[in-house]
Amino acid sequence: MNKLHVIGLFIFTTLGMLSCEPKIKTKSPNKGELDVTKVIFIGDGQMAGYMNDGLKNEGQKNSLANILAAQFELIGSNQAKLPWLNSSSIGISTAGLAPFHLGYKTDCQGNVSLSPVRDANIGDLSCLTQSCYQANSPFTVFGIPGLRLNQFTNSALANTNPFYNRMCSSPSVSLLDEIISQQASFFQLYIGLEDVLDYAKSGGTHESLPSALNFQQNYEQVIQNLTANGAKGAIATIPDVTLMPYFTTIPWNGLSLDNTNVGTLNSIYNPLGYYFQLGANPFMMVDSTANMFAVRQIKSKELILLSLPLDSVKCNQMGVLFPIRDEFILDEGEINVLRAKIQSYNNFIRQIAQTYNLALIETDQFVSKLADGFTYNGVNMSAKFVSGGAYSLDGIYLNPRGNAHFANAVIKAINKKYNSTIPEVDANKFDGVRFP
Amino acid sequence: MFVALSSFGQGFQVNFQGQKQQGMGCAGSALNADASSLFFNPGASAFANNSEINLAGTPIFAHVLYTDSVSQTSYRTNNPVGTPFSMYGIYRFKKSLEPLSVGLAMYTPFGSTVQWEPNWIGRFALTRLSLKAIFFQPTLSYRINERLGIGAGFVISNGSVNLQKDIPVQDSLGNYGHAELAGKAIGFGFNAGMLYHVNERFSMGFTYRSKVNMSVKNGIATFTVPTALATSFPNGTFSSQLPLPSVLTLGLSFKSNSKWSFVLDINRVNWKVYDTLAFDYALNTSTLSDTKSARNYESIFAFRGGAAYSATKKWTFRLGSGFGFTPVQSGYVTPETPDANRLYGTCGFSFMANEHFSIDAALYATRMQRTDKNIETQLNGTFTSIAFAPGFSLNYKW
Repeated sequence: MNKLHVIGLFIFTTLGMLSCEPKIKTKSPNKGELDVTKVIFIGDGQMAGYMNDGLKNEGQKNSLANILAAQFELIGSNQAKLPWLNSSSIGISTAGLAPFHLGYKTDCQGNVSLSPVRDANIGDLSCLTQSCYQANSPFTVFGIPGLRLNQFTNSALANTNPFYNRMCSSPSVSLLDEIISQQASFFQLYIGLEDVLDYAKSGGTHESLPSALNFQQNYEQVIQNLTANGAKGAIATIPDVTLMPYFTTIPWNGLSLDNTNVGTLNSIYNPLGYYFQLGANPFMMVDSTANMFAVRQIKSKELILLSLPLDSVKCNQMGVLFPIRDEFILDEGEINVLRAKIQSYNNFIRQIAQTYNLALIETDQFVSKLADGFTYNGVNMSAKFVSGGAYSLDGIYLNPRGNAHFANAVIKAINKKYNSTIPEVDANKFDGVRFP
Repeated sequence: MFVALSSFGQGFQVNFQGQKQQGMGCAGSALNADASSLFFNPGASAFANNSEINLAGTPIFAHVLYTDSVSQTSYRTNNPVGTPFSMYGIYRFKKSLEPLSVGLAMYTPFGSTVQWEPNWIGRFALTRLSLKAIFFQPTLSYRINERLGIGAGFVISNGSVNLQKDIPVQDSLGNYGHAELAGKAIGFGFNAGMLYHVNERFSMGFTYRSKVNMSVKNGIATFTVPTALATSFPNGTFSSQLPLPSVLTLGLSFKSNSKWSFVLDINRVNWKVYDTLAFDYALNTSTLSDTKSARNYESIFAFRGGAAYSATKKWTFRLGSGFGFTPVQSGYVTPETPDANRLYGTCGFSFMANEHFSIDAALYATRMQRTDKNIETQLNGTFTSIAFAPGFSLNYKW
């Protein structure tokens, strides 16, 4: 044995090994039974990227549709075409306001605290007045803030919804005709949230929940048309909106009383059978059926809406001497009505998924899971306002990270149904709430 | 978090504490190889015929690749080169005190730096962990007779920890918050052993290195967060502790009548002591509470063996291998300890320049893979680790 050879080999091997790194071996994404020649996305604000009560370019980039489309591209799908707003635009809400950011707000007592603050006094109205339709490059994302199921066949939708007006091929074309003309090979439809939100956000004062029959007819009509060419698709159930921060942030017993106030209130309300104690107490609310004064204490299961004017509560006796008005509260009966309706719609959506052999995204399970809270790659997610990290500052629509988690739920459902292996996104790469 | 070791060993019993042993699969508790026996078996040091000094360094080149199961994205570590070293000195008394020898050992039985690439998927679990510990061990060894030697040393461990991770809160520009926990740790223990020469060919070693409880007091916690959250994450002090487990070793060695000799070590490592990693912050807020993370390590066995071939009086060549079970149960694999059952290979050589001076070199190489979903962070993916550790030592005896 020549020792120098052995030592030479030893040194050579050592030097060679030092730069050796593990090789990347990942599974290449597979489309399974999916035909991704043309994939389109249809829905309301969630699909469009509406968040922080407004639509702007940043939100569109992080929309459910855009996140999903990027993953679909990994299995060879077309690039998504969105009706982009200008990236310099501050954006606009469905009510014409500017979107929220998290900022400092001084309340009526002079206390400064973190709060959603509008980016400007009014939104960028100009961004909705110009049509962005291009005949040679049709949209593949039909995310229209405020869109309801019964508006698909409405040929006057462009007159009432400027978000649709700016993207339709012609103002007299209905959304349904618009999407039929796309002849998609795969569609992702998430619709119905807006249909229940109007009732919920009005504290049950708008009697606008569609009848089960109407909902079924409209839903089936859309699906029939979308699948007429043999397209596959994915549809989604409607979540229990009462689990969203808009309805869960202000506590029912947020009335904090000291001894003097307890005495005053007891002398006023004891004759009606309502009692107050030191510390946390239920707010007083309007209820015409309660007694001759139409006022009662709110119950622990009832929900106070984020629209409640908090300065009136803090400084002007709202919820105490002036009971909280119906429009700011979902009472027990209203919650029951809302949940029963959502359940009946969802039962039908599940049935449709079976009948038409479509993937089904259980959005209500996703929203419940968020409400329970879960950990994802070291980050705790929940449905808590601001700190939960998933909902945007309007308390209804998901923020970019929330959308990414929802997109993962969609991808799971599609992969399962169509034996595809579309990779999920790293949801933590998407923004949560930004703090000043 | 504040954890034992990263990518090159089931804890610290990997034994890069002697180049002759490293060449033979890191085994050698039943040998009086050189002054490094102060670490491997203080009982063997009793058989040192001379006073000896041994200086060694073993740079560790470790690379970890993480592939996320759900997003199929991959991320790497950018670890700096680990720098374990050891210094041993034995003084052999003469005349009436002849059976007695005293020794001082200084070695780094665990410690490394894991540095993940920026913005990696596990950034909210860990971005960087740097762990250092230097053990000082004054030792007394006594040769009871020609066959039996015993020895024991008191261990003082001096260490430091620096743990960093990102916090999932973003400022107005979208930058994430960051936490850095840094502190000095100190711990005490002992290392005792005996060596028994059954006959001229066959020897047995038996050693016990005790648990060393490394405790951090007054560590500094620094949080970089958006201004609005500064009061929620107050900078302040923290305390924590990490138990380094005891190691019980049975070693065997056998000299053939030719130029070959063989060694085998069996370790029992009591990793069970590492059940929880806790951080106690001096200042708690609603967002910054004390943390307790389950680790639930299991005690394990490791088997190490090797052979040496004395080609000439000056040259010796070595080859070895080992297998260690992982102490990390399913559900508890973390980015700081992406541990797995581990098979490794080693080789090495020695050159004796003259009766006083000799050099040793050894190479250790391993590759391991572990797929797991962590219960606490829900990180779900595969860690692939490759580590090389070429070592070099100088010996002088008189």
